[in-house]
Amino acid sequence: MDTPALPLVHITCTGGVCTITLDDPSRRNALGTALFEQFEHALAQAHETANRGEIIVVVIRATGRAFCSGFDLAQCVQNHETLAQFVRRLAAITRVIREMPAIVVAQVQGAALAGGCAIVAACDIVCASEQATFGYPVHRIGISPAVSLPTLMATVGCGGARTLTLSGEIVDARRAKELGLVFTLSPDADMLDASVAALARELSAKPPAALRATKAWLNHVDGTHSSQSLGSRAHDVTEATAALAATDESRLLLAHFWNRRKGTD
Amino acid sequence: MDRLVHLSIDNGCATITLRRADARNALSFELIHALASTIAQVSAHITRAPDEVRVVVLAGEGKSFCAGMDLKAVLHDPVKMGGMLQQLSMSLLALRQLAVPTIARVQGAAIGGGCGLVVICDFAVTHPEAKLGYPEVDLGVCPAVVAPWLVKKIGAGPARAMLLMGATMRGDEALSRGLVTHCVASDQLETATAQLVARLITGGQYALACTKRMLNELDGSNDARVARDAAELSAKVIASPEAQAQLARHFQTVPTPPAR
Repeated sequence: MDTPALPLVHITCTGGVCTITLDDPSRRNALGTALFEQFEHALAQAHETANRGEIIVVVIRATGRAFCSGFDLAQCVQNHETLAQFVRRLAAITRVIREMPAIVVAQVQGAALAGGCAIVAACDIVCASEQATFGYPVHRIGISPAVSLPTLMATVGCGGARTLTLSGEIVDARRAKELGLVFTLSPDADMLDASVAALARELSAKPPAALRATKAWLNHVDGTHSSQSLGSRAHDVTEATAALAATDESRLLLAHFWNRRKGTD
Repeated sequence: MDRLVHLSIDNGCATITLRRADARNALSFELIHALASTIAQVSAHITRAPDEVRVVVLAGEGKSFCAGMDLKAVLHDPVKMGGMLQQLSMSLLALRQLAVPTIARVQGAAIGGGCGLVVICDFAVTHPEAKLGYPEVDLGVCPAVVAPWLVKKIGAGPARAMLLMGATMRGDEALSRGLVTHCVASDQLETATAQLVARLITGGQYALACTKRMLNELDGSNDARVARDAAELSAKVIASPEAQAQLARHFQTVPTPPAR
């Protein structure tokens, strides 16, 4: 399949801040081949810019009503092997965010589901509007949200991670704040935009080496660094999840879910 | 030494009081040293006569509980500063390992290392107008020593956001974020603390000691290596040109606390 030439992800780097915008609102910013590729590219660019010491903050935001609805299932139904590939790419993105030598802020204005929630759980500071929702409703399509666990378990603790991932329940922003996933809440998307812009400005004015050292130390302390308890298991978790995505159960459940959604079952 | 930290033992409650009110109880080399030896003294007392110390209250004299590390005097003496951070880190560990419940009674302000003392205690009582938090990154400093304890207290997600964002918060927000366990009107601070002490003293002392020991074992509180590594990292970051420049700017605008 040819990658469409339309830009689905934008990146701007200015004033010490890289802003990455997921911009495929008609597909609820679903993670398909093209969006994955452009998002990975943007993160790599942010990483290089941070390495050069030009930025210390990365903001990940999205246009439209959803932040990110997870994998583009239409592509997975067409070619089931895509699903395992997406699992690996998502896992890699969560590692890149966690290891980014800059503070990564998630600006969540709408639904952050499945892979979308995994992106959020990997970020350092999560700011949300009251309309945002979070969750991992993926068992019904025969896949596991386990690639999010290394960062999710650190962020919300073992109890919260267990409930969120096993139940598939979608929680609102207030509940997500109680769980520890969200740190600040804004009444609506516009106020969220202003509040994240202010936060990014504040962070970019802080001494960068102290911020970088603090982030790296926190990765050690909460076990998400690749040498620590959670981080060192990330590869195994990814491979197990990718293997699951290639099973017949997953193929059947995804097809069933898709047909029902299309109203043909 | 006992002039800087006072210890009183009364009706089963040991009260450790920081007494450097003219410097908002900022943690100087001497104060940290005195605190360490007082904690060791309390620990020995608990072992020797467990009936006499059933609860520990940590308090600060004057308007503020503790303004944090007093870095100014040691800014250009990295060896002394490294030693100071090690001693603070080990004192936090020793305070955590006391075999009785600990309560911080927090008036005014608890900043940086001062907030670290609050969060390491099993309970903390404050008032809505109090100022608590970790502005270390704003000064180019890495809050490495206090980070593991905050992560244990409020969870890694919120701790990450809080430490990276720096700044401070009010006592009521500190309650909702889980840094403190009680927030009462400022004129009720002593009464509320005394009530909590009275309640804890009614618990079985061996049961409480056993529970606390298990909590410490299970949440990784006994990890001396993390405490040592944290102090080393913090000293390294403070010695960096970035932190030195930032702190020099900071100290130009903040009056020097009188030496003591």
